This record gives sequence, structure tokens and C-alpha cells, in this order.
Amino acid sequence: MARHNLEKQLSILDFALSSLWRHRMKSLSVLLVFAAVIFLLASFQMVTQALSDKAKQVLAHTPEITLQKMSAGRQESIPLAYGEQLAGIFGIRRVVPRIWGYYFDEVRLANYTVMGLEVNEMPEGGRLGATLAKGVMPGPADEAQGRVVVGQSIKKTMDLAGRTTFSLFRPDLSLKPFEISGEFSPDTDILTNDLIVMNVADARDLFGIPAGLVTDLCVYVANPKEIETIAKKISEALPSVRVLTRSQIQKTYQVVFGWRSGFGSICLLAALAAFVILAWDKASGLSPEERREIAILKVLGWETSDILAVRSRESVIVSGLACIVGMTAAYIHVVYFDAALFRPVLMGWSVLRPDLHLLPRLAAGDILLILAFTVIPYLAATVIPAWRSATVPADSALGG
Amino acid sequence: MLIELSQVSKVYNQGRANEVRALSGIDLTVEQGSMVCLKGPSGSGKSTLLAIIGCIFPPTSGRAVIAERQLARLPDRFLTLHRRETIGFIFQRFNILPELTVLENIALPLLPLGVTPKERKLRAHELLERFGISHRAQFPAGQISGGELQRVAIARALINNQPIILADEPTAHLDTNLSREFMAIMQQLKAAGKTIVIASHDPLVFEHPAIDRTVTILDGRIHVP
Ligand SMILES: Nc1ncnc2c1ncn2[C@@H]1O[C@H](COP(=O)(O)OP(=O)(O)OP(=O)(O)O)[C@@H](O)[C@H]1O
Ligand SMILES: [Mg+2]
Repeated sequence: MARHNLEKQLSILDFALSSLWRHRMKSLSVLLVFAAVIFLLASFQMVTQALSDKAKQVLAHTPEITLQKMSAGRQESIPLAYGEQLAGIFGIRRVVPRIWGYYFDEVRLANYTVMGLEVNEMPEGGRLGATLAKGVMPGPADEAQGRVVVGQSIKKTMDLAGRTTFSLFRPDLSLKPFEISGEFSPDTDILTNDLIVMNVADARDLFGIPAGLVTDLCVYVANPKEIETIAKKISEALPSVRVLTRSQIQKTYQVVFGWRSGFGSICLLAALAAFVILAWDKASGLSPEERREIAILKVLGWETSDILAVRSRESVIVSGLACIVGMTAAYIHVVYFDAALFRPVLMGWSVLRPDLHLLPRLAAGDILLILAFTVIPYLAATVIPAWRSATVPADSALGG
Repeated sequence: MLIELSQVSKVYNQGRANEVRALSGIDLTVEQGSMVCLKGPSGSGKSTLLAIIGCIFPPTSGRAVIAERQLARLPDRFLTLHRRETIGFIFQRFNILPELTVLENIALPLLPLGVTPKERKLRAHELLERFGISHRAQFPAGQISGGELQRVAIARALINNQPIILADEPTAHLDTNLSREFMAIMQQLKAAGKTIVIASHDPLVFEHPAIDRTVTILDGRIHVP
């Protein structure tokens, strides 16, 4: 009996394969659309996953509390002296100044983000070295004047290939020379792509910010559990200052991400719906030939369950192939073509298109989710109509 | 008796607006090894009667016992199981699947039985040989001649060695020669012990000497002249 059953299963599988082959144009078109949907879903999933990994990296380098001075709702420079007023607050480990801003390069029509940091002052400053492909982070003013670290696309945009020096304009249009002492690794492109990092003194010089002022103060806290309490105390001590905690910045990222991936999800849902409709149409529109075939098989002694088994094997084969093709294509798309199709949607970060190298991670859970969203509707759309027609009486194959 | 019908009636779409009474009060018995012809005008109920004898559906009322099984008591699934052990069908137009090969068409009834591919091939080849069409085994069934097609249809009705052969208007699309050939094959099968019921209004069929009895159906009833 068990042997019989095995033979029967094999026969049915064999019949399903040959039936797919007989309708190869139809099978192929369904397969292609199916693979395309899986490709979109999987690419999208891989990209958002890789990007949220990046966002985590960003946050890892974000100070626990950032202080900015607000005036009439706009950010303006904050006096270094404010840092000294915080000395009384217990739990603050260190206050480090920072100057950052955007520099518009009129020659190349590109925006750069300029960041002036006191790397040696930052408690975790040493870790920044890990983000570099080569070189070192610029040290303090007296030993590293004019030294900068740049992101990959800055190197490309400025066409720096062999050179290690370039100049930028100060607000009074005099030129300030820089020398590249290092470059960020492509892994960190999403953050560092359009970034030029120098020390605070050079940034102040470049932007013409008066001595004693910076754009923001980074507050490092001894115990992460006290962040909220300390932030509140700072607000009380310095009422005109905006106090941003790391978790608030995290929320901002989530909003940006949420919007972007929400938009993507809507596009994907539309594609998915189109696919389900197509599958339904293909399957429920059983042609007279297919109906006739089912009626003949029934008269010849096939049970409804046998006919369903053939149909579901067909569907499983088609969806299995579509998954393999779609997922492989998605991986190639993301890794080798840098998710070219999703660029415009997901990358709003900088004017320079980041040459972003994503390392996709596709968890088993994601794969299951994608399968659930594609294979189940497809199986339902193919097997249910076949079941309805298989329960039609077989006598239509007789006479007439 | 291999086939025993008493007071059999069949109503299609019972209780609905499109209700059709196709058979009423049919009494019919067919002995093992005999050949019976059901004759009658179009729409008289021949195909419906064959469908009941062929265990495709049970009668709406009355008693139908086919090869010692009473149909009314069997749910659909058991009708199917009983049908494939008992009945070989030959359809009008022969109802082959044109994209499958001749061999695959003949072996179709064996697939759900769990017969090995080797055994399926062996049995199909035996029949192809017997009907002189072995050379067509690997042809797509849609590409063979009418005469070959008819033999394929007969071979398929015999593949599981079923005791009863039912044929619905088998000569409707055949010329005189092929119709004669068909009846000759039926005669051989009868001689080999098969029980055969043919629905036809073709004189070449009901006047054939091998036919033991002709039953005339008129408006769903057996007509006694
Ligand atoms: N599936 C069905 N649903 C409803 N009515 C049906 C169905 N099949 C047959 N009928 C009706 O039942 C009656 C008998 O039909 P049947 O096909 O048995 O006649 P027949 O003698 O085989 O005719 P023909 O010589 O044209 O094949 C006809 O009125 C037909 O319209
Ligand atoms: Mg008929």
C-alpha cells in the first residue's frame, strides 16, 4: 500500500511536470511575473534591511545628547561658554564642541557636508578610525591643520584620483587649502558619502564662525540610564537651548525611513495585487480545453483529489522556481547593481547620489514572509478554481 | 447479472428552474458477455443512461446495481473507485488529450492507481500491439488518423482490464469502413468475455450481428414496440 502510494505520488508529479511542459508558454509567463514580484519584494526587503543596519551605525556614532541654540525657531551658533555652565550637573562625562554645515560647490554643483570634530576629545573618538578605508582622522588644530577625511563620492566628484589636496572657498571668497589624510570606507557610504571631516578650528575657519562659537555641543553621559534626567536638567539650566537625545534622533530616522519604506510598500502592494489578479485570471479562466481535460480524467477514474494534486504540484513547482529565480535576481540586483531600481525611492540623503554598497541580509523570517505574501495567494488562486471545476460532474465528457 | 436497473429515473437540476427529466422508470438488465445497443433520437436519454451504468452519477430514484454494487448508496468518491475498476469508456469523438502521446493517453487511467511507469508502458504497448498501432506510440495523439484514434480510445477503455465497455455514439464521426472495423473489434471483445453497451442510432451498429439486443429509448423511457 505504501509502495502504491509512492508510485501514485510520483506519477502525479510526473504528470504535473509534463502538463507544465505542454502549456509551457502559459507556465513561463506566470513564472516570469511571479519571479518579478518576488524579485521586487526581496530586493526591497534586502535594501531596507541593509539601510536600517546603516541607521544603527549612524546612531552608534551619535552623542548621547546634542545641544543646539535656537533663536526665532532657527538654529544658530552656540557659545562654548554654555558648556561650562553645565559643570554643576552630575553625571555628565564630557562636553565636546562640534561645527558642521553644508558647503555648496559651485564649480561641481554638488553639496558637501562638512563636519568639524574634536576627535581626541570624544570619549569614543577612537572608534571612528574603524570607519576609515585608509589614513587617520584629523587630530587637533596645532598638529593637523588643513587635514581632512573624505567620503568616497567626494573623492570621485572632485576627481582627486592621484591628488591629495584641494581648496574650498571661505565666505569672503578666499581659498582655504586642505590635504586629505584619510578616506572613509565604502561600507559607511550612507553616512560618509558626501562628508568632509576636519578639526573644529578648520571648520570654524572655513565657515567664518567667530571664536567662542560652535554649531552644537555634544554631551557624553557616564550612565546611559540617566540620559533623560540629565537632558531635563540641561533644559532647565539653559532654557534657550534645544536638547536632543539619541532616542529622539532615532525617532527622526524612523520617521524618515517609515515614510520612504511606506511609499515603497504601497508600490509593492500594488504589484502584488496585480500579480494576484493575474494569477486568478490565469487560473479561474479555465479554458474549455482544460475543463474538458478535467472531465475526461474524472470519467477515466481520477478522483477530484488526484486532479487537485496535479494542480497543486504544478503551482508548487512554478512558485518554487519563481522563488529561486526571484530571490537570486534580487540578491544580484542589490549586491552587484547596488539596488539600482530602488535608488530614487530610498536615497534622499544627499544631493550626491551615494554609491552605496549594500550588504544584504535576508533572514529566514523575511523569506517566510515573502513566501506567505506570494505563494499562498498564488496557490489559492490556482487551486481553488481547479477544485471548483473538478467538482463539476464528469458526464460533460460523454456524448454531445 | 452484471448490470441491473429497476425503475431508474434521472432528473437534472432537480428543484431548480432548469429542471430536466431525462429518464424515468427504466428497467434494464444486461448479462455478462452480452452486447446491447441503446438506440433512440437525439435527446432521448441514451447518454444519461450510459452515465448511470458507467457509475458517473447515481440515479435520482430507483435501483441501479452495477457489478454487484448498488450505486445509490455510494458517495461520489466510491463511485469513482468502483468506476475505474469496472468500466471502460469509449466516447463520441474519443476524447483523447491531443498534446499527450498515444502511449500517455492510453495509460491515463492507470496513473491514479499507483501502477509503476514500467508496468504502465508494458500494458499500453501490449494493447497498441494488439490493435496494430505500436508505431504510433510516441506520436502526439492530436496528430494521428481517425482510424488510429478510434483504436487508441478502445485501448484506453481496456487498459485496466475492466469487465464492462460503454461506448457513446462511437461511430458518429467515422466513415463506413471505420465503423465496420469498430464493430469488428467490439465483436472480438465480446468473444473475449467483455460486457458491452453501445449508445447509437447508427444502423451499422444496431443491425450488427454481434448485437444481442437493441433497446429503444424514447423521451427517457424504454420503448416497447
Ligand atoms: N448535464 C445536464 N444538465 C441538464 N440537462 C441535461 C444534461 N445532460 C443532458 N441533459 C438533458 O437530458 C436529456 C437527455 O439527454 P442525453 O444527453 O442523455 O440524450 P441523448 O439521447 O444522449 O442525446 P444525443 O443523441 O443528442 O446524444 C436532454 O433533454 C438533455 O438536454
Ligand atoms: Mg448522447
